[in-house]
Amino acid sequence: MKTLRELFRDGRFRVGMAVFLVLVVLVLLTLFSPYDPTEWSVVPRDRPPSWEHLLGTTSMGRDVFWQMTFAVRNSLVFAAASAALSRVIAVTVGLIAGYRGGVVDRVLMLITDGILVIPLFLILVMLAMLVREHMNLVNMVLLFGIVSWPWGARLIRSQILSLREREFTYTAILSGVPARKLVFNEYFPFIIPLVLSTFINNMAWAMGMEITLAFLGLTNLVIPTLGAMIRWAVTYQAMLLGFWWWLFTPIAVAIATFVALYLVSVSISVYLDPRARLQRVGAR
Amino acid sequence: MKRKILWMLVSWLIVVAFVLTSCGGAVPGEQEEEEEEEEEEEEEEFMGFPRSETLYADMVTGRVTSAGNFNEWVGWKNRDRGMQQLMNESLWTSDFINGKGIAGLATGPAEYNEDFTQVTFNLREGVYWSDGVELTADDMVFTIELLRDTPGMNFNAEMQVVENAYAADRYTVVVELTESNSRFHTYFRDFWGCLWIMPKHVFELVEDPITFEYNPPLSLGPYVLHSYDPVGMWTAWVIRDDWERTPTGMLYGKPAPKYVVYRHIDDPSLRVIAMVRHELDSSFMPIEALRATMSANSYARGKRTEFPWAQAGAPTVNGHIFNCLKPPFDNVEVRWALTLAIDIVELLAISNDGGAGMSVLNYSNVPLYLELIYEPMEEWLVNFTLDIEVDGEPFHPYDTDAPARLIEYVEARGYPIPEDTDHVFGVGWWKYAPDVAARLLERNGFTQDKDGMWLLPDGTPWKIELLTDPVPGHDMYRSSFATSHEWRKFGIDAVSVPSEMAATLSSNGDFDVYPSRPILEPYGDHPDEYKQFNQLHSQYVEPVLGERTWGHACRWSDPRMDQVIADLKVTDWTDTDRLVELGIEGMKILVEEMPSTPLFTLLDLVSWDTYYWTNWPGEENAYQVPFHHWPNFKYLLPFLEATGR
Amino acid sequence: MRFIRRYLIPRLIQYVLVTSLGITVVFFIPRLLPVDPVERMVDIIQARGATIDPAATEETVRILREMYGLEEGLLKQYVSFWQRLFTGDFGPSIFAFPTPATELIGRALPWTVGLLSVTLVLSWIIGNITGGLVGYFGRSRILKIFDGIVMFVRPLPYYIAAMLIIIFFVYLLGVFPVGGGYAIGGRIAFTWSFVWDVLKHAFLPALSLMLLYVATNHQTMRLLVQSVKDEDYVRYAKIGGVKEGTIFTRYVMRTAILPQITALTMSFGYIFGGALITEMVFSYPGIGSLLYLAIVNSDYNLIMGITTISIVAIATGILIIDLLYPLVDPRIRLK
Repeated sequence: MKTLRELFRDGRFRVGMAVFLVLVVLVLLTLFSPYDPTEWSVVPRDRPPSWEHLLGTTSMGRDVFWQMTFAVRNSLVFAAASAALSRVIAVTVGLIAGYRGGVVDRVLMLITDGILVIPLFLILVMLAMLVREHMNLVNMVLLFGIVSWPWGARLIRSQILSLREREFTYTAILSGVPARKLVFNEYFPFIIPLVLSTFINNMAWAMGMEITLAFLGLTNLVIPTLGAMIRWAVTYQAMLLGFWWWLFTPIAVAIATFVALYLVSVSISVYLDPRARLQRVGAR
Repeated sequence: MKRKILWMLVSWLIVVAFVLTSCGGAVPGEQEEEEEEEEEEEEEEFMGFPRSETLYADMVTGRVTSAGNFNEWVGWKNRDRGMQQLMNESLWTSDFINGKGIAGLATGPAEYNEDFTQVTFNLREGVYWSDGVELTADDMVFTIELLRDTPGMNFNAEMQVVENAYAADRYTVVVELTESNSRFHTYFRDFWGCLWIMPKHVFELVEDPITFEYNPPLSLGPYVLHSYDPVGMWTAWVIRDDWERTPTGMLYGKPAPKYVVYRHIDDPSLRVIAMVRHELDSSFMPIEALRATMSANSYARGKRTEFPWAQAGAPTVNGHIFNCLKPPFDNVEVRWALTLAIDIVELLAISNDGGAGMSVLNYSNVPLYLELIYEPMEEWLVNFTLDIEVDGEPFHPYDTDAPARLIEYVEARGYPIPEDTDHVFGVGWWKYAPDVAARLLERNGFTQDKDGMWLLPDGTPWKIELLTDPVPGHDMYRSSFATSHEWRKFGIDAVSVPSEMAATLSSNGDFDVYPSRPILEPYGDHPDEYKQFNQLHSQYVEPVLGERTWGHACRWSDPRMDQVIADLKVTDWTDTDRLVELGIEGMKILVEEMPSTPLFTLLDLVSWDTYYWTNWPGEENAYQVPFHHWPNFKYLLPFLEATGR
Repeated sequence: MRFIRRYLIPRLIQYVLVTSLGITVVFFIPRLLPVDPVERMVDIIQARGATIDPAATEETVRILREMYGLEEGLLKQYVSFWQRLFTGDFGPSIFAFPTPATELIGRALPWTVGLLSVTLVLSWIIGNITGGLVGYFGRSRILKIFDGIVMFVRPLPYYIAAMLIIIFFVYLLGVFPVGGGYAIGGRIAFTWSFVWDVLKHAFLPALSLMLLYVATNHQTMRLLVQSVKDEDYVRYAKIGGVKEGTIFTRYVMRTAILPQITALTMSFGYIFGGALITEMVFSYPGIGSLLYLAIVNSDYNLIMGITTISIVAIATGILIIDLLYPLVDPRIRLK
């Protein structure tokens, strides 16, 4: 509780959480949606925002507002899940490789680099083509999660490497602190900002990649996501025909989501930074 | 510290420089091309294409992959970059607007002997290659022999049927076949591609015709290659000085634009912007892009001046194919039930906003077919019944009111109704009869669960996957979604699955329903259906699903159809009455069996900018096939008028 | 000497292993796709109007497969791939037969490398400077506003940003060309007019990319600088009376820039994958769209060509980092 109060002191955190609250509300609203998001022609087409349709309708006969709620839900869940999966793998591999060193390190780095070296886009495109018929959210989470951990693993490993040579490590080892305690208690605070920032980056990357793949038509465009909404709007020339509400909604929501993520992660990592913590202790 | 950073940056620059120079070295061709282009230019400094004399068109097949290679006889060389439209002339070219073929290099139809083992071609006199050598029968003989004797060249397998080819005189070619083949001449009939004639005097000096680049290529058409982008974004052509020594010149006159440039613009939004800036004169766009263009550019128009019937009346019919070897689609009543479950008006509203004409047969709504096929078949269609009774009477599935309902929808959307409604909207389709469909299913063991969703006879929920090509905005994509919507409404869990591999999966039999051309499209200017029906011959059906089939993806066959095919094979190309008779017979079988369902005539939306060039073959003045990617484009150009801006 | 034996050689071996592993993976994946490149090519030729004679089609495919060496076993193909690789030959592109894959790549690569390397370096410089300034002198109002703008610009989907740029500069202002790498009808030569032409055509794609890259660099650098500026030695320098400007450049930026150099090195490697969306939107010639075309058509040789170059470039980048980083950061001991 004290932590939360501390965090709320930070203006960035407040703004970020406020946006998240709005997003959560939108996600919950999907339970009350009067329309099936995968159906076409359920409402009149190409209507600008009105009281009946808060954000207008699309050329496919769908309500933009309700479509957006589902898109937010799917995109957020998918991004968070794949980023989480990716971080778990990255931290595990990075920690073990960085701390153990030697042969273990070499082998793990070989695998990491082997994946890192392959152009990500290529793999995603080919695998997307391969599993196209079975492309649903779960598979996308797996796909994105499994492909994106190498970068984070490397970063964490170098951080561990540099920490390992610091004085306090030697001190701890000499005083007989067991390795696990050392890693968890002393290293983690240094790593967590890194993990958090890469988690945010990964979420942003996953959402961005989803939008890119949707744009190329590689994802299952029947499942409403932010990328799918943008893709359909582009296909139907919403921009040039003046249906701004259709295009503007998913973009605005995407930007808001990214900005909120960024603010929250920055404020959390600043809070957890041991040096800043010391300052706070001193200040009180 | 500073030094070490410097170290790193320097080593990086070295790597980058290395890479760049190695790339530079890997493009030796560029130097050569520069020299070649300079030679073509005759040492004149080229200042760019004068806009009032240049026509810009876009390419449908994308970026040119082998930009410096014009050897059309091996592989795929992007012949729609101007090669087939401007450079080449074929013996005959299809013209579905005027309803009869155009004789280019030939002076009349091919002449067969009694048992179709010998064909005679008569070539036009006075046609010259762009290097001043006259076209003679030797060129054609050489072409046929080279293709027959070189494995790996296009048409190599098809030419194996040639026993002997010789020049009877300077302009006459006689081909003797090893077996009877009444359609041999169709290989030379240009319907967006065919067997081109090579210049003998060039190719006989070539050691390996497969790797030969044929650059610069010789033209038989009225334009020669001017220049091109080595990366494949544009290709420019300039009119020949001796244009009157080509069939185009002889038949139609001098093409109006001095230069024609084909360019590739990937994104439809960008094509809109290009046309609004008057940098593109003829382009293909999806409906919405056309709307956007017309609203921003007052000079832009489609084939019809009122939107959205900018449809250009292509000969192709779109629909979907059933996998007739996979249950439950192997049951003809199931296929019919699925057909009756579709409300064609709603489907067209969803997929094309009402801007496509329904087609109940595999013939499109072009004037020739309306006259030759639809009119005679009207009675039969109206009287056609299914083996099921409604109110004590056999059920008649044909609905002549469907076009009227479509017109109502279009009116409600606020669009103007054109006069030739048959051509635009079609003449009829199958009734929307979900109740009859339900009965058909029920009597075959299907049941519905409490939510109204259909269950297969074995009790499991019925799920249908419609394959589709992955580009949203394409006709097939849209019709796939619309079809699955209709079936979902009916109570089947139908879903559209986009895939790049759609064509492959359908050939392998790995699909349920494949939205595509129900059978190969007809010529549009000729009633012959041999090529189209032949794919359905039982000898080509691959019975094992998962193995590739070389025949039609539906894997259906019928001995009656085999007989029609056999009859067609021995019918002469010029015997129109018999061909129509057999075509109609084949269509009747297809209607009864419904292995694939025709839905509507394919849209090929062309849009024109009249800022620099006018007198396009719009609906009010349809003198030629209006597409700039079709070989007929050279026959269109003499009629264009420059506005002089 | 010890350095070479203990570290350099194992590292080089690792380099070779990693590269080979990556290449092998990329070799086998496309062949897992059910799309056979020859059949696909024949399908396309057929679909584009040529006659379909079922018996002849089957025969054609068989002949072509033999010509491409696809009839041989998978392992044999793998071995011959490596053999050809050492002569710098990736074989003919299946889709654009008989053009060799190297030629296709060679035509498109200079455009991609030119555009992307310049864009990357410029963005890196600009982004790091702005990020550093905002991170260190965070109080200033102007800097805070700038930072806010960057925060909103970065998450913009790239396609949208590119389209907005086009609409603004091309549609509304009409100053820039619609697309392409150079004007239609232009001649590729090293003349001033051509260079100017290329720059005019490259400006908008570069701008769209730089928006994203500058924003990314800015945010990363800002975080780095913020964490460095609280270090003890910086505090001592302040107490010691060192000038603010000097602290900023020689104490803070110097340290903070190290991870950024790593990042830059890494991103250079990724250039060789091309920028697909950029190429699509701006009709810019490059290997991104070439690669995409290759994937969609299962053109094994072309895929292998582009990807191999890409993998080698990225692996080299990592190698350079690993070899030089310990020299730069004395805290890392070599194990």
